[in-house]
Amino acid sequence: MSLEDLRNRILSITDQTLKYAKDLSIPSIEVFVVEQSLTSLTDHQGKVDSRDGIVQGLGIRVAEGKKIGFSSCTGFEKETVKSALKQAYDIAKVSPENPMFNGFVTETKPAKEGKLDPDILEITSKDLIENCNKMNKEVDLTDKRIISGSFGSSVNYSCYAVGTSEGCLASSLTTTFGATSYFVVMEAGDRKTAIDFIQSRKVEPVEGIAPKALNKAFRALGSKDFSGSEILPTVWEPREAAAFLGFAFFNTFSGSAYVEKSNPWMEKLNEKVASKELTVIDDGQKLDTQECQSIDAEGITRQTTTVIENGILKTFLFDKMFGEAAGFASTGNAQRGGPFGGTPYENTPSVGLNYALIKQGTKNLDEQIAEIDKGILITGTPIGLFTANPVTGDFSVTCNDTFLILNGEKSHPLKSISIAGNYFKTLNNIRFIGNDSEVSGYPIETPSMTFTGHTISD
Amino acid sequence: MEKEYVFDLLHEAVEKGQKLGGEFIEARYDDLQLTTINLTNDIIKTSSSLHRKGIGIMAYYKGTPGYSFTPELTNESIEDATIRAVKLAKSTDVRNKIKLDFDDLPAIKDRKEAGVKKHPKNFEFDDKLELLKRGVISVKEVLEPTSTVGLYGESYGEKYFVNSEGSEIFWVPMVVDLRMGAIVIKEGQQAGSYEGSGNSKGFEFFESEGLPEKVGKKAGEACKDQLNAVAAPVGKSTVLVSPQMGGVVVHESFGHLSEADFVVTGQSPISDRVGEQLGSEHVSIYDEGVTEYGGYYLPYDDQGVKTENTILVEKGILKGYLHNRGTAKKMNAELTGNSRAINFLFNPIVRMKNTYFGAGDLSFEEALEQVGRGVYAIDMSGGQVGLDGNFMFNCSKGYLIEKGEITKAIKNTALSGNILDLLKQVKGATRDIEMRTGYFGGCGKGGQNGLAVGYGGPNVIMDQVLVGGAQ
Repeated sequence: MSLEDLRNRILSITDQTLKYAKDLSIPSIEVFVVEQSLTSLTDHQGKVDSRDGIVQGLGIRVAEGKKIGFSSCTGFEKETVKSALKQAYDIAKVSPENPMFNGFVTETKPAKEGKLDPDILEITSKDLIENCNKMNKEVDLTDKRIISGSFGSSVNYSCYAVGTSEGCLASSLTTTFGATSYFVVMEAGDRKTAIDFIQSRKVEPVEGIAPKALNKAFRALGSKDFSGSEILPTVWEPREAAAFLGFAFFNTFSGSAYVEKSNPWMEKLNEKVASKELTVIDDGQKLDTQECQSIDAEGITRQTTTVIENGILKTFLFDKMFGEAAGFASTGNAQRGGPFGGTPYENTPSVGLNYALIKQGTKNLDEQIAEIDKGILITGTPIGLFTANPVTGDFSVTCNDTFLILNGEKSHPLKSISIAGNYFKTLNNIRFIGNDSEVSGYPIETPSMTFTGHTISD
Repeated sequence: MEKEYVFDLLHEAVEKGQKLGGEFIEARYDDLQLTTINLTNDIIKTSSSLHRKGIGIMAYYKGTPGYSFTPELTNESIEDATIRAVKLAKSTDVRNKIKLDFDDLPAIKDRKEAGVKKHPKNFEFDDKLELLKRGVISVKEVLEPTSTVGLYGESYGEKYFVNSEGSEIFWVPMVVDLRMGAIVIKEGQQAGSYEGSGNSKGFEFFESEGLPEKVGKKAGEACKDQLNAVAAPVGKSTVLVSPQMGGVVVHESFGHLSEADFVVTGQSPISDRVGEQLGSEHVSIYDEGVTEYGGYYLPYDDQGVKTENTILVEKGILKGYLHNRGTAKKMNAELTGNSRAINFLFNPIVRMKNTYFGAGDLSFEEALEQVGRGVYAIDMSGGQVGLDGNFMFNCSKGYLIEKGEITKAIKNTALSGNILDLLKQVKGATRDIEMRTGYFGGCGKGGQNGLAVGYGGPNVIMDQVLVGGAQ
């Protein structure tokens, strides 16, 4: 089967489901159909696990006036789909009206689809084993400092389609390749971990991943206590900065939180929310990223939206319903993530980041460090980032991979420290934005960044 | 669908897998119905009815596993999944160095069901919506929120399991859940709080622990307290952790370290330490399938192993780990029934059941008195741990303890440390155990996020916890 065959099949199932709905006299409907073929292999210190299969499912929203019902099912069997349609309709009939709802998406002109690599369809479990072999061969696992080494590689290709009784019928394809190396190392009781990975829309060479991860783990050995509590500047490597800022943007950019009055920036539109150096663009059309799609999860054309420009909040991100409720148009940010174990069809659309890009500055990481008398360099993702308070912005995280900066130089690695502060103050306390952006594994791409005013303690 | 028909399909898959060269085959079928309602600001933001069904096939070849699945219950799809699983097990064996084969056991034929008095399927959508509306009214009786959120969730269905030994197991999972949230953002003040939980009970849960008025009132009061909260003192402190907070701490920070897949690969810092005194004499930790205290009802795991009450730590001494069949054989340990998958799309991996601290001998008042000055940590909004034992939990609801009494509410603050250091600093626990589970939230591991587990325990006194926060 080719990628276009997959697309045609998913569009056909979508169209067929709309016809079933018509037969059932369902007044208004949106069908989200997804199929994902995946193969993955992990090797944890010689313990291999593998998984291979096809995820299939439908999410169905039915509207009767402003009353909405949602149902989903796994697989595309006719009776299962019809049962889900009836269930969604039954829920809609007994639901109270949602005054914000103004109908499903009508005709859509899909934007650009991300890059596709048909070679991904040819990758087998043997190829994934070979990728692990290649990563393994580049490191010496007999080094006594290594407690465990893990390797993994995966491929998947997927298609989703959105069809509505109002005339929308569109689809989006994705191909994904991934490879990961992870190490746990220890010396003199000092235990450190490090990971490196690639995640791409096309098959990539895996060489270099394992040595990079292992060197990162080794360099963190020999850590010392911070001893005390102090307010200091923090310098974040690009992937760590992305993880750190992801949480801040998740809620503050949310148009649904704005409408629901739970967005702490709800009174800040066109006001200063960050240092003037900060410009953030939500780019749903960056073709080489995993997040690039031609339509969003309710069929709206994907687009590029400037959210913060020179520190000023220019807009929030919206799906159709919340955009219209707020008096704006959708920004193409409907998504179907959620806590259901990787099954987007089990979720109704909600507002989320497509791909936040932070505009680069001028200094590289070393030049930022050189400007700091005493501070902390963050080289590993802290734990607890997602525990920050979305309303107040207060956060407190623990990080096991940091270095002390003294007199403009990276001094020595530190044992576990606590980093605390407030996201909203942090965004106004940006000292430097770097020029070294990296893909992070999160839907956000940032260069290294330096902030002031964080409380460091151990 | 008829039970015997499903069992026949699974038996066929097992036979097919064996013919293809799979040395041991496990086939399971999940058929679950999940319902959620999200009532935000008195409007139904989302409501959903999810039907999640499918077959998972695990094949073993020389101790190497391969997993495949299909959502379609056709002979062709199941055969295709079986072929894929066997092919994976065979093709990846060449790289697999840790062979986790296991001995044959007698076949099990069993049917299990939680004792549910009022099954949620017998209640209408409006009945469930009414629970949320009642909760919201109770929130508003306490304060004037800028925003309210009510969440209702239920999950129930059927699980079938068959393996090469001829086992045939059928059981019925069940969870109902109710959460209420209150947010205030005005005049420079910002506060938010969520309350509620779930249990493996029917609608009777909403007449007792999950009574909407009780949950709504607690959410409102916690939000109100947050408006006047003070910053927690930064630094090492004595912390009294509540049953729910302690349950999460023991699950996240110690439970995962005791999972034997991390142990056999050497990733866990408690590998090879059975018999060692890891904690104080006040520390006992259990992981149980079906508890007398409530929590999540789990009679069998996804390898068809009957769940046990596993003693992980007894009076501070490490007694054992959590196992699947392969790790139990490799480590010459008893089966514990901890091989679980989030749904049919995933292979079972070693996961927890209902994890909790054992009870102590203090009354709540005696515990407060023993703390004297410190923090009472009641609830959290997330946390994270590393495989080195480091943990960080965000205490979203907590109070200062001063002169042995609960006084002012504290702002969100981090509680962090290393569990292996902390277990030595456990100074006592109260007598009563409380357990909970949930439709919302759950355990995450290996990309399988949101697995229903139970957690709880007594109130536990922990010394030397790092309380973090901005100065």
